[in-house]
Amino acid sequence: MAERTDNRTWVQRGVFVVLAFVLIVVDLVPLDMRPSLWVSPDLLLAATLVWVARKPSYVPVLVIAILMLMTDFLFMRPPGLWAALVVILTEVIRSQNRDFRNMPLLVEWGTIAFGILAITIANRVVLAIVMAPQAPLALTLIEMIATILAYPIVMFVAHVMFGVTRTSPGEVGSRGQVL
Amino acid sequence: MARDKNSEDFIGPIRRLLVGVLVLALVGLFLVWRIDSPRVERLRAAAIDTVVPSFDWAMAPITGAANLISDFQSYQQLRAQNRDLRRELQQMKAWKEAALQLEQENAKLLDLNNVSLDPQLTVVTGVVITDSGSPFRQSVLVNVGARDGIIDGWPTMDAIGLVGRIAGVGQNTSRVMLLTDTSSRIPVTIQPSGQKAILAGDNSLNPPLEFLEDTALVRPGDRVVSSGDGGVFPADLLVGQVALGTDDRLRVRLAADYQRLEFLRVLRSQAHEEIADPDNLLAPEAEFFGPAGINPASLNTSALTDG
Repeated sequence: MAERTDNRTWVQRGVFVVLAFVLIVVDLVPLDMRPSLWVSPDLLLAATLVWVARKPSYVPVLVIAILMLMTDFLFMRPPGLWAALVVILTEVIRSQNRDFRNMPLLVEWGTIAFGILAITIANRVVLAIVMAPQAPLALTLIEMIATILAYPIVMFVAHVMFGVTRTSPGEVGSRGQVL
Repeated sequence: MARDKNSEDFIGPIRRLLVGVLVLALVGLFLVWRIDSPRVERLRAAAIDTVVPSFDWAMAPITGAANLISDFQSYQQLRAQNRDLRRELQQMKAWKEAALQLEQENAKLLDLNNVSLDPQLTVVTGVVITDSGSPFRQSVLVNVGARDGIIDGWPTMDAIGLVGRIAGVGQNTSRVMLLTDTSSRIPVTIQPSGQKAILAGDNSLNPPLEFLEDTALVRPGDRVVSSGDGGVFPADLLVGQVALGTDDRLRVRLAADYQRLEFLRVLRSQAHEEIADPDNLLAPEAEFFGPAGINPASLNTSALTDG
């Protein structure tokens, strides 16, 4: 795998980590401690999925695992479960990488939405099985829908600002290697 | 993944194996958390303790920008605010007179009774570093921890009212679970009726009162203070006011300003003296006065003499 990572990929990996760091910090800033009636989308998840669907080489699985485990710890979620689910989802998307390259936008969105729905349900089911305390259902649903709705926007921003685009046919890396 | 199947055969299985191990490790961590939660929660506190204080420099610009925006908004409302404040000031002047009189009276009465308010109730003041970052958890992180002698379970107030309790202590930071969190349960007393209840957080700004004995005695506007029940909190810390929610449940409008929690006071709550053996409160082996037939100690002997 090492022969296929050029400098550009390394830079982009760094960009993703910095972006994730910014998203986490923005979530943590103590501005208003009142419980909110609505929930903002899980932008970190949306960004991770966009990156995996478009440029899987920019987000190594280890980075995803570490970032998600860190947010599990920071955001007071049951540690490990959400991280494991996100890693599984991203691995599934990664293995379908070639299909994602020439998928219509709506199909891609639908596939990702299905994935988010699946891990949200799996999360709740596992928590129910081990009888761990759960977040309110309504808020979870709102967050899930918001994340799904945010996906195209994140995709657009990733495309325009970070240059995270689909690998086009015949595209090669800086050293001419196959992507 | 590589394009042709041949090279994928090299990397694919190993990578899949490693990912499998990774997922198993994460699930294992989750199971360990479920089985032995306190230990993993301590790990979490330690992890947060090392990570979060280093976020400070990154948060400063965001907090600054947010403050700038809210300041700008307050400029727009300045005129209306000024008018409101003037009117409030008028009312406050009347209250101030009343308060002064009451203060003098109170001082006199305290003096007469020789009351000393709890001298052991001292505070550690901390600054809020972060909030929980998740909409499902209502907690904040303050920058005082085990280093400052903070202990799990201590009550936390802002300038006016109760905010929450310490739940999780790291070396330099500790987590305050707010009263609004779904797992927060606080024993309270409602003044002036003296009814006891449990303030149960439900992720809304106004937590409901549960286990009220007689709701008829409680009116919206009544003061809610903490009760010393169960040794959880010191008694008589202001929590808020009773209010009737839109769902017809009695809720509490919290006195603490949850919109802007910045400095929190952690009260050094002293352990309650426990009365383990209530009998010893009475005089030991009290002498029995009364007819001998009722005295359980002399029952046998009286039966013998009768026979």
